[in-house]
Amino acid sequence: MTTAIPTQSKADAVLPALVAEGLHLSFGGIVALNNVTIEIRQNELVAIIGPNGAGKTSLMNCLGGFYRPQRGRILFCGEDMTGRREDAIARAGLARTFQGTHAFPSLSVIENIMVGRHIHMHSSILQSFLHVGWAEREETRHREVAEEIIELLEIESIRHRPVGTLGYGLRKRVDLGRALAQEPKLLLMDEPMAGMNTEEKEDLARFILDVREARGIPIVLVEHDMGVVMDLADRIYVLDFGKQIADGSPSAIQRNPAVLKAYLGERGI
Amino acid sequence: MDPAGVFATSFEADAALIRTRKQWLALALFALLLIALPWLIGPRLLAILTVMLISAVVAVGLQINTGYAGQINLGQAAFMGVGAYVAGALAAGWALPFWLTIPLGGLAAAAFGFAFGLSAVRIKGFYLALTTIAAQSLFHFSILNLPWFGGSNGVTLAPASLFGFELSSDRSLYYLCLTLTTVMVCGAFGIVRGRHGRAFIAVRDDDVAAGMMGINVVRTKATAFLIGAFYAGIGGAMWAYFVRFVAVDQFTLFHSIWFIAMVIVGGMGSITGALIGVFIIKAMQETFVTLGPSLVSYIPSLGGDIVYSVMNVFLGGVIAAFLIFEPRGLMHRWNIMKQSYRMWPFPY
Repeated sequence: MTTAIPTQSKADAVLPALVAEGLHLSFGGIVALNNVTIEIRQNELVAIIGPNGAGKTSLMNCLGGFYRPQRGRILFCGEDMTGRREDAIARAGLARTFQGTHAFPSLSVIENIMVGRHIHMHSSILQSFLHVGWAEREETRHREVAEEIIELLEIESIRHRPVGTLGYGLRKRVDLGRALAQEPKLLLMDEPMAGMNTEEKEDLARFILDVREARGIPIVLVEHDMGVVMDLADRIYVLDFGKQIADGSPSAIQRNPAVLKAYLGERGI
Repeated sequence: MDPAGVFATSFEADAALIRTRKQWLALALFALLLIALPWLIGPRLLAILTVMLISAVVAVGLQINTGYAGQINLGQAAFMGVGAYVAGALAAGWALPFWLTIPLGGLAAAAFGFAFGLSAVRIKGFYLALTTIAAQSLFHFSILNLPWFGGSNGVTLAPASLFGFELSSDRSLYYLCLTLTTVMVCGAFGIVRGRHGRAFIAVRDDDVAAGMMGINVVRTKATAFLIGAFYAGIGGAMWAYFVRFVAVDQFTLFHSIWFIAMVIVGGMGSITGALIGVFIIKAMQETFVTLGPSLVSYIPSLGGDIVYSVMNVFLGGVIAAFLIFEPRGLMHRWNIMKQSYRMWPFPY
């Protein structure tokens, strides 16, 4: 199923894909993240879970550059990304899919995926103005990459449909395709399964595994669906009230008393 | 979608704008018609047609800025005016040739538009519309008070000339405008179908997601204003050579709203839509101007002012009607009709 199970040895010379150290984020008196430290290794599928309001999406937004943590730093492939703007972080190789649908509704499927190629394309306004020649060749080159993604996600038949006319499950697939088109070094997925039926969840889970196999990139999954998390993840971080309360393999997390307490409450009240 | 039986066999063919032999034929016939028209119609109609070509450049610029990038702009006439004044002043003061003054007029307008594009970075929608109205007053105030533009007297310039041949006849001006408009419109098609056009639509549809895709939202918005204003400036410079007299009252807020009307009627987010909008609105205006006086001569008690005011009432009515009944414009309706025709007898 998976290509490489990461080695836990200290001698591993490969830089971790992402390290977030001591992140602290508060909105007024509400502490969304309190000293959260996570590390994503190469080729690893990590899930971040936690009850509602635990700070999962805040953490995602910090990693993506949408929020700026007040303390702590984020190293992406060894490079300090703290406080950089979201488009700079995206260009550095971090892609994310969104909670709900954020695919561009008036663009077609292929155009949405081509937006993902934006950071790899270089034609200037003037070259676009002339179109024939350089800009057209560049379009064709990147169209080939986009078509590979369309094939991977099995959306050939709808490639020219505007995304606004598609159903929710397909939109999520386009969202994933768009992120893949960025050729990221790390993929963040914010609640990909939310609002889907079982069949759509199974499809998407299969595509996540396909992507992992095809690209060999680390994936971070923020998810509520425990079945999906336990089946897919190599490792799990658990947040509660902005604090990181546990991390470990799915089977260890399932038995962790702190996690059980966070989700189910304490016995004997 | 293509007609049944037409399939693209390469990515280039799939991205092409003109896809069938019949479409090539129609385009060739249309081009021939445009070239032949000066010999088929009278000078008044030819002048109207030239104004349509000039307005087309300005409206296409507004389409890129407002229709594609979603940045509302109520100052397009001011940007046009900057182009007209700069081209006019350079031609009158320094006797520069038109093939220099027209691009320079465009660049001056682009710089002016870029400054307002920077304000679009922080404000959206209604407030941005108000800010671009400020462009209109700033333009008016600066032109009347800066020393180079002749104040309230305006700028009068000599006809454009190419290799000693003076472009002052109606026909030569028409061909000059036709050439420039063709280049600018083809360029607009190139911009909107490439990476910049997709970035504009991405910012319009969802600027948060666009930023996360690595698109610099700030730069994209400012670029949209820059391109829109450049087009307006080129149109303005063409206008300067067409009327050979530039004055502030040729570029008022009213003119800006006419341009918005053209884009709304034609359809937001379509270059062809902008062209159709220009044709319809200009044709409507000219009909009023032509029919109005004869109506007044029948019923003298109406008074001469009625034409102008009825025209504006009608303009408001047309915009309101389109926003209510066909908010995505004629191009959208046309595409729906074309698709259902090609699908017939199946619903989808």
